[in-house]
Amino acid sequence: MGKKVFVVNIARCNGCHNCQIACKDEHCMTSWEGYAAEQPMTGQFWGRIEETVHGSVPKVNLTYEFKLCHHCDECPLEQMAPEAVYRREDGLVIIDPIKAAGKPELANACPYGMVYLNEPLGLAQKCTGCAHLLDDGWTAPRCVDACPTEGVRFGDYEDFAEELEGIEPAVPGGHVYVLNQPKRWVAGEVYDPEEDEVIIGAKITIQGQTDGVILTTESDDFGDFWFKQVEAQNYKIWFEAEGYMSRELSIDATDKDGHIGSVPLYRL
Amino acid sequence: MKDGKIAQIRPLRMDKKYSLEEINPWTLEIDGHKLYSGTATTIPPLAITYKNRVYSKNRVPYPLKRVDWDPNGERHPETRGISGYERISWDEATDIIASEIRRLIDTYGNYSIYVQGDGHGEDKTLHACHGCNTRLMDVLGGYTCQARQPDSWEGWYWGAKHMWGMDPVGQQSLVSNVLLDTSKNSDCVICQGCDPETTPWGWGGQISSKISYFWTEIGLKQIYICPDVNYGAAIHADKWIPVLPNTDAAMQLAIAYIWIKEDTYDKEYLDRYTIGFDWFKRYVMGGEDGVPKTPKWAEEKCGVPARQIKALARYWAKHVVTTCHCNGGGYIRSAFSHEPARLEVALLAMQGLGKPGRNQMKLMEWNLFGRDDLNPLPHSQWHSTMHAAYTGHALGSGLEVFIPQTLLPNAIMLPEGEKLTWYGHTVNSLPREDQFLPFEYPMEGKSRIHAIWTDTPCWSTCWNGGNRYQDALRHPSIEFMLVQHPWMENDTLFADIILPVSTMFEQDDIIFSSRCGENDMVLNEEQAIEPIGEARSDSEAVMAIAEKLGVAKELWENWCYPAGLGTLEDGSPDYYYGEPSFETLKKIGYVEGKADQHMPYEEFLEKGFLPVPFKDDWQDDPVGMYKFLEDPEANPLKTPTGKIEFYATGLAENFPDDMERQPVPHWIEESPRLHERLTNERGKDYPFLVVSNHPRFRVHAQHDDCIWLREIDMCKVTGPDGYKYEPVWINPIDARARNIKDGDIIRIFNERGSVLGGAIVTERIMPHVISQDHGARVDAIVPGTGGLDRGGANNLICPGETTSQNAPGEITNGFLANIEKVDVFALAAQYPEEFGREYDPADGIRATCRIVKGE
Repeated sequence: MGKKVFVVNIARCNGCHNCQIACKDEHCMTSWEGYAAEQPMTGQFWGRIEETVHGSVPKVNLTYEFKLCHHCDECPLEQMAPEAVYRREDGLVIIDPIKAAGKPELANACPYGMVYLNEPLGLAQKCTGCAHLLDDGWTAPRCVDACPTEGVRFGDYEDFAEELEGIEPAVPGGHVYVLNQPKRWVAGEVYDPEEDEVIIGAKITIQGQTDGVILTTESDDFGDFWFKQVEAQNYKIWFEAEGYMSRELSIDATDKDGHIGSVPLYRL
Repeated sequence: MKDGKIAQIRPLRMDKKYSLEEINPWTLEIDGHKLYSGTATTIPPLAITYKNRVYSKNRVPYPLKRVDWDPNGERHPETRGISGYERISWDEATDIIASEIRRLIDTYGNYSIYVQGDGHGEDKTLHACHGCNTRLMDVLGGYTCQARQPDSWEGWYWGAKHMWGMDPVGQQSLVSNVLLDTSKNSDCVICQGCDPETTPWGWGGQISSKISYFWTEIGLKQIYICPDVNYGAAIHADKWIPVLPNTDAAMQLAIAYIWIKEDTYDKEYLDRYTIGFDWFKRYVMGGEDGVPKTPKWAEEKCGVPARQIKALARYWAKHVVTTCHCNGGGYIRSAFSHEPARLEVALLAMQGLGKPGRNQMKLMEWNLFGRDDLNPLPHSQWHSTMHAAYTGHALGSGLEVFIPQTLLPNAIMLPEGEKLTWYGHTVNSLPREDQFLPFEYPMEGKSRIHAIWTDTPCWSTCWNGGNRYQDALRHPSIEFMLVQHPWMENDTLFADIILPVSTMFEQDDIIFSSRCGENDMVLNEEQAIEPIGEARSDSEAVMAIAEKLGVAKELWENWCYPAGLGTLEDGSPDYYYGEPSFETLKKIGYVEGKADQHMPYEEFLEKGFLPVPFKDDWQDDPVGMYKFLEDPEANPLKTPTGKIEFYATGLAENFPDDMERQPVPHWIEESPRLHERLTNERGKDYPFLVVSNHPRFRVHAQHDDCIWLREIDMCKVTGPDGYKYEPVWINPIDARARNIKDGDIIRIFNERGSVLGGAIVTERIMPHVISQDHGARVDAIVPGTGGLDRGGANNLICPGETTSQNAPGEITNGFLANIEKVDVFALAAQYPEEFGREYDPADGIRATCRIVKGE
């Protein structure tokens, strides 16, 4: 049996939370003997959507990332309590709901914050990959079953081998792959304040102040320019347009996206 | 199902029971990219979380009577919304109800009973809500009907229809294969006040999301014009143009100005397919009022820089553009909403509306009214409907005596001896001409209303001016208010008698699904679980009342064998389908819907569902308005001239003095009754415009008790008191100026009252605007005008006025308010009882907090 993987595609995630809620539909109010105790009705997120707002008015976009247990090859929980945490042949890591009861310390062992503590039971709980369903003939867990846009998929690594070529798992030794992880963008608008017009076709050049990489683009029909998926760092930006004085500015895109705003260019 | 409980709610896998040929899904292919309709439904989270709704602690557990309402003594209308409830039996409840109905009819006549089916409940057939009582009232001799105005498409209905006809909705209704056409031929779609990642959820699936992603893949530019980075803009927008709420008309006029000035519009098209453009041109260029509608002029009003308006106008003139909508939003549900609607048609016409890639497309309610021409997706091989088995209010019926839903508070509080007047039956599916018919209340020789009988009630959380409605419900003329509802929420708390109603999981039903975007299908909705508490279905409740009134047999016959169905020559029923019963009715729905031509009834029951395959040759269906384009004289639009009317001849003839909806679409700054712009005098006191969109995590007022939605960060903001407040988006600039931080609890207020909310300081909203989704559950601290609501149900403070002088639509978005930070502990000290109600952050206010006796 091949090792199972989750493939999360941020470029296809609309943030609907179907995955997060389907997980609860499956695991709250129900225990699955041998696989998982009942998940509390609220507060645990074995699979969860995390949202990031990028930019500022009027250049704003959002990304959502589905996060879940990575089912790591070297799971620290398994190392801490090998009698209670085990790995299945298909690679899914399961916390045995009986044997792990009374070992609340397991809940703090995951470096990625994907394990929760069920206090009344003293039980660490997390994503099972819906192993109980897979063993019942399902081909995918509930989160994947509920996703309308193929934002999260599940299968053998080989099923996705072509797509995943050159892509490392989201964490070392993990079984979750994330496609289209957002980097930074640098964007803005160029305009002529005297004419009150946007400037179309201006040449905009950026240079990363850390890696020295130079990129160029042109402003579009709205005077907008975008450099997408660039590295997080400081940038110098040069603006050139025929008949206008050139400008040099800089923008910090280290911790957040680089929205430089509306940049006026002046006639020569 | 597992152990008598709902176990899983998941997408329906059609391929589990049907072959690919039987489902016959479609694939739209452009440049090697594929959009596939699939073999499973794409359900929204609202569906998956429905287990929370069914098992909600806020379910009405048993019949309830308001403690200080005594049908034989003091009725205390003034304490509705405040007083508690006591448990009574079904037998007692139906005795009281039957006796009240008899008394009202004997005293005032049938029309004293107002039947309200609000239209925001579960979709059901045999056990329908939405006017479940109308057939019984028909049997009893009539009632006053609540006419539901086109609340989802106000501007299109009151405005666009006068320009391009397009009955019944007023949006472009000739849209066959427009998805194909747009994907193939458009350069760009403009989503103006449109959120394909939110509004479709309550009425269907998520195919609109798949379409939006597909458009990105094939390089179709998506421009979003809205005050907020709505959930569609957040992930699909190539360009976001923030515009102040309900000021789109100014921007549209400026776009027309640029096209006229720069001569970049389709004059041949205007000559052949439209009338009255000269009048429009005169207004735009300033000939009429001396004010040219320049981009600079528009910038002052709409907040979009003039240079960006010019850029958009020039981009649009050079490219092939289709506009997209998902019904609601501020764009089409604000004051004077007929103007932006008409102006959009004007812009589309100026660029050759209906030519390849130039249309208006709706991204939801795909097979609305079962009409292919309204559906831009590939079409199905056949249609059905289960209407023959429908026990609720048939749209358009019962309108001999009616009150528009938007005018109900005015009607109830109308001074004795006065008349309320309006135009049109105001029902969302009627033709344009209906808007010219005059009506009045009370009708000649008919009583005022003295009782309200409602199911799925949510007037105060979904319509125009909920606080005024709360005043009206406490008016002394209302002697009896009866509510049937599964949950103890919103208007239910004003009832004199509450009947507990079951959800669809607790009933055996049948339905034809036609709006999800994947295959249409007939569904055998078998009963999944036993009813919760003492709940009965709406139909069962109405039948129990009919029994007490001695008309059970008549009601069964009305449901199963209405005139024309299986009647013998002497007029008596032949019981062709069997003795009247729900079982019989279910079969009637299936067979009369002609679904049995595709699968025998018994086999359908066994299989559980029957998908309608898509047509094989769907790609060959001609696109949208092709007939009109071929020959507009032979294939006229439903306007008086048959052409697109820049000068609306119907309005000119019928409302020559109406300055708010003139023959030519205008910018309306304000009216004697409406002052809802930042630039109005009121804007000084109330310097924010409120966006109150259809909610992301609710269907209108439903789902606010769903645990798995409420724990999502963007769904609720937990206050310092542990209460989950309805989020309010505030731009960082405005927040800084008022010292408001993320998580602060704030009051949104105007003359009409206040609602609370939890601040989310975010770049998702432009300055001078706040956004709070509509439909949060009412938690009234002080009910009525000037009141205070903790739940954040902002419909309570939206205008009570209607769209314009002669257009009785609702205004539920884009209105003025101010905000301030509040101290919830100080409020709790001021209102200890109201703030101390039984509450759990997980699911909110509980039903039990209102039950004071007999628990």
